[in-house]
Amino acid sequence: MHELSLALDVIDLVTEEAGKNSLKDVYEIHIEVGEISGVDADVFQRAMEIVLKNSSLGKAKVKIRKTPGIGRCTACDKDFSVSDFLACCPGCNGYPSEIIGGKELRVTSIIGE
Amino acid sequence: MCETCGCGQPDEFTIRVPGQNENNEHFHPDKQGGHYHTHSHDHEHEHDHYYEHDHQGDRVIEINKEILAENNLVAERNRGFFEGRGVLCLNLVSSPGSGKTTILEKTIRERNEGYPVSVIEGDQQSMNDAERINKTGVPVIQVNTGTGCHLDSKMVSKALKQLEVGNHGVLFIENVGNLVCPALFDLGETKRVVVMSVTEGDDKPEKYPYMFISCQLCLINKSDLLPYVDFDVDKFISVVKKINPTLEFILISAKTGEGFEKWFDWLDKNRKCHVT
Repeated sequence: MHELSLALDVIDLVTEEAGKNSLKDVYEIHIEVGEISGVDADVFQRAMEIVLKNSSLGKAKVKIRKTPGIGRCTACDKDFSVSDFLACCPGCNGYPSEIIGGKELRVTSIIGE
Repeated sequence: MCETCGCGQPDEFTIRVPGQNENNEHFHPDKQGGHYHTHSHDHEHEHDHYYEHDHQGDRVIEINKEILAENNLVAERNRGFFEGRGVLCLNLVSSPGSGKTTILEKTIRERNEGYPVSVIEGDQQSMNDAERINKTGVPVIQVNTGTGCHLDSKMVSKALKQLEVGNHGVLFIENVGNLVCPALFDLGETKRVVVMSVTEGDDKPEKYPYMFISCQLCLINKSDLLPYVDFDVDKFISVVKKINPTLEFILISAKTGEGFEKWFDWLDKNRKCHVT
């Protein structure tokens, strides 16, 4: 559900950036969504499509890049792949790990003219 | 759809003070502080072929901005407001029905010292919770999120303009009952408190880890029902510790008062830390 309100925030952000850069039309919006950001990338994609249709950015398509979850073990400093917060270090089976990737939720670029 | 202007923005919300039900403030957040409509473009289907165009003048603009940047910016402003007044602001989050409002009623009535307390109530609809808090005599304001599933920092900022918040006191923000969405939205609170009732099952942290990661205190409520349910307090705490090792726990019952002394001490300790 929060994907919809985030989609509205993207519209505001992109509209502002397009204005600053004198873009008349925006054709692509590139977004990074981390695997453990708390946002479902597929739901977010659909939310963006719905919100874009009813906005002044109706020509734009959304391109979402999913970024993987990466944890760093605070005990042995090893980096490893995580898909949830209960993942323990495969090297020493230790908790906790520090999340160093996968929490991204950002607009990286827009393409337009 | 917004009943006042019919603009259909999904993030509309209303702010109401008990006793002034008809004077609904109507607010649609946007950057100009005003009110805008994004549906002027009613012929978008004619443009479905745009990818076939050769856009010779296309430019790539690097942005690299957090989607939550605007929310986080306003949250920091709220945080500055609280710090400037020495106010301990607590964002109370939980599933619906965990007992947040009952805990608040008891806390306000029986707190250790007579420090000022005020409350922002968040719900999709109704004034029920604000009316309950209003009976305790402290300033309260209701934010109805409409279709929204969480409070955000702009709603809190707007509510603060109408709410009397006493210096060196405590502001409780009772978020919309939902263990998912409120986790992502910083309101500018000093600390976030998750309320968990023992009737909910002890595997909630595994199912909803984002919420438990983002909090500093967990109130385990309805402890009087422990003999009748399968909730294993030790197992619950051990699972939460794996995802949030620094989370504090207090076992309470808003019905019998068990654990409230510890809760009041926690409030005093954190209030005094915040004042100094």
